Amino acid sequence: MKRRTLIAGVAAAGAAVAAGLYRFTDLFVKHYPPTPYDDVLSVLVDREEAARFGALVRAAPAPGALAAKLRAALKPHGLAGAVGADIAAGRLTEVDGWVVPQSVALLSALAAKV
Amino acid sequence: MTAFLDARALPSDTVLEPDIAIIGGGPAGISLALALANTKLNVLLLESGGQNFDPANQKMYGGSQSGLSYIALDAGRLRFLGGGTNHWGGWCRPMDEVDFEAKPWLPHSGWPFPRKALEPYYPRAQALVEAGPWIYDQKGDAENAPEGSVLPLSKGGLYTSWFQFSKMRGDVLPTQFGKRYEADLKRAPNIKPLLHANITAIRLSPDAKRVEKLEGATLGSNGGAGKRFTVKPRFVVLAAGGMENARLLLVSNDVMKTGVGNQNDLVGRFFADNPVPRDVATVVSFAGPLAPFYGSNQTLDDGAIMRATFAPTAAFCRSARVLGSLSTIEQPVELDETGKAAVITTAIALGVDASNAKARSLGCGMELAPDPDRRLVLTGEKDALDLPRLKLNMRISDEDFARYRRTLVELGRQLLASRTGMLRIDKKTRDDWMKTMDWGHHHLGTTRMHIDPKQGVVDADGLVHGLGNLYIAGSSTFPSYSASNPTLNLIALTLRLADHLKKVMA
Repeated sequence: MKRRTLIAGVAAAGAAVAAGLYRFTDLFVKHYPPTPYDDVLSVLVDREEAARFGALVRAAPAPGALAAKLRAALKPHGLAGAVGADIAAGRLTEVDGWVVPQSVALLSALAAKV
Repeated sequence: MTAFLDARALPSDTVLEPDIAIIGGGPAGISLALALANTKLNVLLLESGGQNFDPANQKMYGGSQSGLSYIALDAGRLRFLGGGTNHWGGWCRPMDEVDFEAKPWLPHSGWPFPRKALEPYYPRAQALVEAGPWIYDQKGDAENAPEGSVLPLSKGGLYTSWFQFSKMRGDVLPTQFGKRYEADLKRAPNIKPLLHANITAIRLSPDAKRVEKLEGATLGSNGGAGKRFTVKPRFVVLAAGGMENARLLLVSNDVMKTGVGNQNDLVGRFFADNPVPRDVATVVSFAGPLAPFYGSNQTLDDGAIMRATFAPTAAFCRSARVLGSLSTIEQPVELDETGKAAVITTAIALGVDASNAKARSLGCGMELAPDPDRRLVLTGEKDALDLPRLKLNMRISDEDFARYRRTLVELGRQLLASRTGMLRIDKKTRDDWMKTMDWGHHHLGTTRMHIDPKQGVVDADGLVHGLGNLYIAGSSTFPSYSASNPTLNLIALTLRLADHLKKVMA
């Protein structure tokens, strides 16, 4: 076997292992069971932390309504844009006393509900 | 230099006839006497106590309470030369312009003059409290901050403001007026400080237009009255503190049956203090520890001692209908799992790294809304000199807490907007607020100032309405209160009164 072929083979195998670890383990990124709201929840880097916080959101709407609200908020400029717009407009929510942008509260509440 | 006079050594039934009698040797009384030093006026400074704490004398401050639980009436003040400065914390900050404004949404608010009327007197007041060079909010920007960096806050309702602190010479901190100005009082040939001299009544002329005389007594060794004496001054300045000023007016009810200056039932009403609730909020700084001047006092090269605080802007006070508040960073706080989740989730949403985030508790000094039913009245119980004791009806409205809560929400918003941190409000119910409630021990408002006699006990010069020669000095005249600690401000107001007296008595 030529040396070049060997290196290419090892590299391909390594890439396959890395892809597998990425896709099927939580070593690089956390995986969650699929939900109808993954398009929205995907903006959360750490859904578990968000869910822990979101469990304290009082009187949150049902997941479908939450997701619809969030899709509308995230559509123009993503999460950063939605959060910035909330802060600028004073759309803040108190969650267990924490003063957070409304989008963060809604996202966390959705994470807690799925 | 002459020694202080001791009223206990006066011949019985002595009659003293000064140009001006100052009742009370606290910061207002001493500042006024010093401002009148070396003038042609013969000044008698009457102090109930001696030069040191005396439990028997202090006991005369005792009183009772109803309503909200408050500190004991003899605990927040000291009845000896120097008065409240014998136990003050030395916190100084001038009142803001907005503190003087009449607010259309807030009944009874506003002073009869703007802050600029006090500004000429602040430098001398600053010198008297020995708080170093006048810096305050000139240190408000990052470039000029004492050390480290000021926490960036986005444009909004609050800004980083500054306290300065009184510092007496040597290792005594802060300035205690009785000790610090003892030599100055003794040195002035026209000032006679008379110690152990309790004024028990203000006697008016039959037409109730002037004070004719003051009746005085010492505290005898038998626990009752000792020697009696009389003072017949041309002018009187009552400077005995926010509680005692009202008490002396109310007990002096032989000519005016409701008490001197109380023809409109205002004396003793509108009592206020600055509530100092602890642990009101948790402030998280995403980047890590805040600069040291947020959590403790820092001494600058020029000797000034400073500490940062978050204060509402005038524009925010007006638009959000909030009152004064000065929020200070206090102790480090360990976040629970929910708190950590809140910080991680929010920081990620803001696109900032919070891996070094640190949390600290936030404390506050608040301003209360004027309330006529927060009130001092006389009771049937008497002190050692047979003067009726006071009873305080203390109150805080839910709206007082709600106003400050709005301020905290805005601070939280600004931290988020600047992407520097976030905030948790740790108080939900009224009980939560009261659980960690402390007080400034600032006695304010009981002889309030207003140009209309129906709304104030004294006029804009401190002259009791309807009388020609009785003035009141001190924070009892503050018609609305500010969150700034009163000592510096009441001294500036007293120095303004000194200028007025020099003119009218010339």
